Amino acid sequence: MELPVHDLSALQKAVIEGEVSAAVSAAQGALDAGVLPVELIGQGIGPAMAEVGKLFEEGEYFVPELLMAARATKEIFVILRPLLAQSGEEPMAHVVLGTVQGDLHDIGKNLVAAMLEGGGFEVTDLGVDVPPEKFVEAVKKKPVQIVGLSALLTTTMPAMKNTIEAFRTAGIRDQVKIMVGGAPVTRSYAESIGADGYSETAAASVELARQLTGTLG
Amino acid sequence: MNDQQWNTLSSAVRGEMLRPLPTAFIIDSPWLPNWTGHKILDYFTDERIFLEDNLKAIRIFPETIFLPGFWSEYGMCTEPSAFGSVSMWGEDDFPFAKKVLRSPAEVERLEKPDVHKHGLLPFVIKRLQHLQPEIEAAGHRIRFAVARGPLNIASFLMGTPEFLEAIKTDPELMHQLLTIVTDFLVDWIAYQREVFPSIDGILLLDDIVGFVSRRDCEKFAVPYLKRAFDADVTVKFFHNDAPNKASAPLLEQTGINLLNFGIQHTLTEMKSWTNNKIALLGNVPPRDVLAEGTPEDVRRSTTEMLNALEDRSRLIVSCGGGMPPHAPTENIKALISTVEELTR
Repeated sequence: MELPVHDLSALQKAVIEGEVSAAVSAAQGALDAGVLPVELIGQGIGPAMAEVGKLFEEGEYFVPELLMAARATKEIFVILRPLLAQSGEEPMAHVVLGTVQGDLHDIGKNLVAAMLEGGGFEVTDLGVDVPPEKFVEAVKKKPVQIVGLSALLTTTMPAMKNTIEAFRTAGIRDQVKIMVGGAPVTRSYAESIGADGYSETAAASVELARQLTGTLG
Repeated sequence: MNDQQWNTLSSAVRGEMLRPLPTAFIIDSPWLPNWTGHKILDYFTDERIFLEDNLKAIRIFPETIFLPGFWSEYGMCTEPSAFGSVSMWGEDDFPFAKKVLRSPAEVERLEKPDVHKHGLLPFVIKRLQHLQPEIEAAGHRIRFAVARGPLNIASFLMGTPEFLEAIKTDPELMHQLLTIVTDFLVDWIAYQREVFPSIDGILLLDDIVGFVSRRDCEKFAVPYLKRAFDADVTVKFFHNDAPNKASAPLLEQTGINLLNFGIQHTLTEMKSWTNNKIALLGNVPPRDVLAEGTPEDVRRSTTEMLNALEDRSRLIVSCGGGMPPHAPTENIKALISTVEELTR
């Protein structure tokens, strides 16, 4: 069934401009007017975050603007999550994210989490300095389609390989797609350690996650 | 850095055309201890290892300049430790400074540290004082006061995403934070200069400047960098290997006259954005070429970079950013010899 088209420009504008309270008000207003949560994500938040990603790629937006848009999105999801659960709507996919063992940097990982949430993915953020077994445990606990590994240091990049290895050892490597990223990580490194995908930027991680889950529209 | 190297560096910064072009590299941990086969923690804690590693680099690469030269440091922990940040150490890992502010409002309780007594700062000074006779006996002198920049320190105190978000949500508190940090930096630089009168340069390292827009850079970076660099020294050296497009045109007004930047931009772009008023230190790709390439890759990349540049004034050839971990001797030699051959 085709969904009706709504005018969510006020919501989109508030998200793009990182106006958190205006974004939440616009979202609540749209829901009150009968817009379904899934429509709000698909026609409002998703396109707004895609625009934010585009502005970032073009050098118009910088990290603070990205963070504020992500924060606006996050606040909207506080309202949306219970409604989605009530209506039985499934998120696009469940992603478990973390900065690998030995690495305490979180900026890239946080940006990816925000962009993925905005893109309609359910995100579980395991934080920083995450040992391989914690990633494995998270995947065993509930259905997860994608695992995202972040590293900022060349000295902690090998922990990505160890984490992928831990999935193999646990016999669940085929259950998940693993994507990697971070300043020192390259596509060739990602391939060499057996990752399924590599994203150079936080904004590009949404498209990659869609490709990996076969949900690219 | 010996007198000849210092004169070369100063001449390049003044815009004199030098033949051959000078080469220089920022060296610190993790490259230096890894290169000599030492653990990072031993490098930080053992004065003999620190001295020997630095002397070895100078001995193996006499044709190049190492910046800032005998850099007494504890990674990102040095300045945050003075504010009470817990320093976390691994045997062979880069140390990490734990944040001390859990919300922007906590800036209200932050006090300016005493640079003579707090955190790791006395250790930085004492290490250099203890080794000063041997450094000088080797023909070198301590030339730079060194610190992380104001935004970098602020981001370690708050957490990087938290700080970058707070400049939007709590700008006044972030100005308060940056004022305290910059007051501290001014004291810290003055103290280093007081203890080591041979210092005639300031090096500040601040990648966070590269994460903000031009408008935010004008508001949150330029005034504080200007104050931190406001000293009567010959070389005002800034390192930011995050993107520079937004900040580069603004740096001249801070007094900076030497800039080490990343590989996102070409030398030609940087010359244009800085109006060729700031000497540039760059720009061979550090990881993909200098660390992971072959000597032939290094020669090719260096040659292409130099050939693409019409105006070679105010240029010191280096890699984009500091010396990358695991850069091998033969690749560094290849870069130095290529520059020498092409610009003689």
